[in-house]
Amino acid sequence: MAKYQLSYFNIKGIAEPIRMLFAVAGVEYEDIRIQPEQWPSEKASGKYPFGSMPILVYGDIKIAQSFAITRYLANEFGLNGKTNLEKANVDMIADALKDIGEKIGKLFQEQDETKKAEKLAEIKRTDVPTYFGALEGILKDNKGGDGYFVGDDLTWADLLFFSQSEYYPMMLNEDVLISYPKMKALRDRINEHPRIKEWLEKRPKTEY
Amino acid sequence: MVKYTLTYFEGRGRAEVSRLIFAAAGVKYEDVRIGFDKWPALKTSGRCPFGTLPLLEVDGKAIGQSFAVARFLANETGLAGKTNYEKAQVDMIAYAFKDLGDEMVKFAFESDEAKKAELTKKFLTEIAPKTLSAVEKLLEANNGGKGFFVGKEVTWADLAFLASTDDLVQFKDAKLLAAHPKLEALRQRVSALPKIKKWLETRPETPF
Repeated sequence: MAKYQLSYFNIKGIAEPIRMLFAVAGVEYEDIRIQPEQWPSEKASGKYPFGSMPILVYGDIKIAQSFAITRYLANEFGLNGKTNLEKANVDMIADALKDIGEKIGKLFQEQDETKKAEKLAEIKRTDVPTYFGALEGILKDNKGGDGYFVGDDLTWADLLFFSQSEYYPMMLNEDVLISYPKMKALRDRINEHPRIKEWLEKRPKTEY
Repeated sequence: MVKYTLTYFEGRGRAEVSRLIFAAAGVKYEDVRIGFDKWPALKTSGRCPFGTLPLLEVDGKAIGQSFAVARFLANETGLAGKTNYEKAQVDMIAYAFKDLGDEMVKFAFESDEAKKAELTKKFLTEIAPKTLSAVEKLLEANNGGKGFFVGKEVTWADLAFLASTDDLVQFKDAKLLAAHPKLEALRQRVSALPKIKKWLETRPETPF
């Protein structure tokens, strides 16, 4: 009986929404974490289609690219909306979360402390209101915003949001969601989801 | 009869893959192209979910984010792959070309001449060859690479590739596809499909 194998570094990063999908779906998998010193030989082995992680292997199936993996599993587990339109809304939200996530991540890598503070102020002034304002609006438009981003059920867009929100206090120096009450409530709601709660308790504790 | 409106700038850019999907599927749509001077008004109009283009409007619903749009259209028209796994393989390949596009944007808008030359060189000698090799391997793994990227029929992975080659062939000296005969053959095969051929012959000629 084939078992899902997910390979990534020993961090949360872009694999964490995938790990959360497995948790919510209650599906077993091998959570392979490659150490930095192992990576060069792993990469050279030819196992990774684009020389990068994460990858998902399941019998004859091999998928690279984090969103391709996440979407595949979400489709398999019924966590990707019900119609093509719902799936498109999930995709759109996920792509937007990825965009703002990358902007935040990039500024976090700035070494010069003065520049970093400037960029941080700038992002809080422009990108955060643009993206989070839009996301809050989309959430509210979905039956008042007390459920999930799309449709009536949890989708991988909600898990991606939750996973990214774990970084906001560290990278933005504050819990930026205080200004976006529906998103904050969604984050808190997912935090209390029994299978997420269980995963948060048992997962390896890593800084990132 | 569903009414589709696709809005983008006066170019191929991030909308062309969707235009190719419409063409391949033989589905009519309004191909709205706006000048840069009209963009500020549209951006603040609230019509674009995240204030970006391309924008797809269908039956009163708005979808943003280029790949959310493309994947929706592909799902609606049967150009997305047949199983969840085929769809994942399509995603993986499409993302590879999206990443190439993102890399091109980096040097296209770089104002520092020296930096621009450096980024362009890195793209042409490292990044593009690496990606093209990886996708050619995936093509070869599908029936020896004599058909399409995924399954037995054309999917939007082939169309994302075609859209990408519009930009790659502009680097005439680098001859990027010459080193990958199976990819070049695929490009010709997809370009020769009657509905695609017609679009390529009749679409507006634009610099980007």
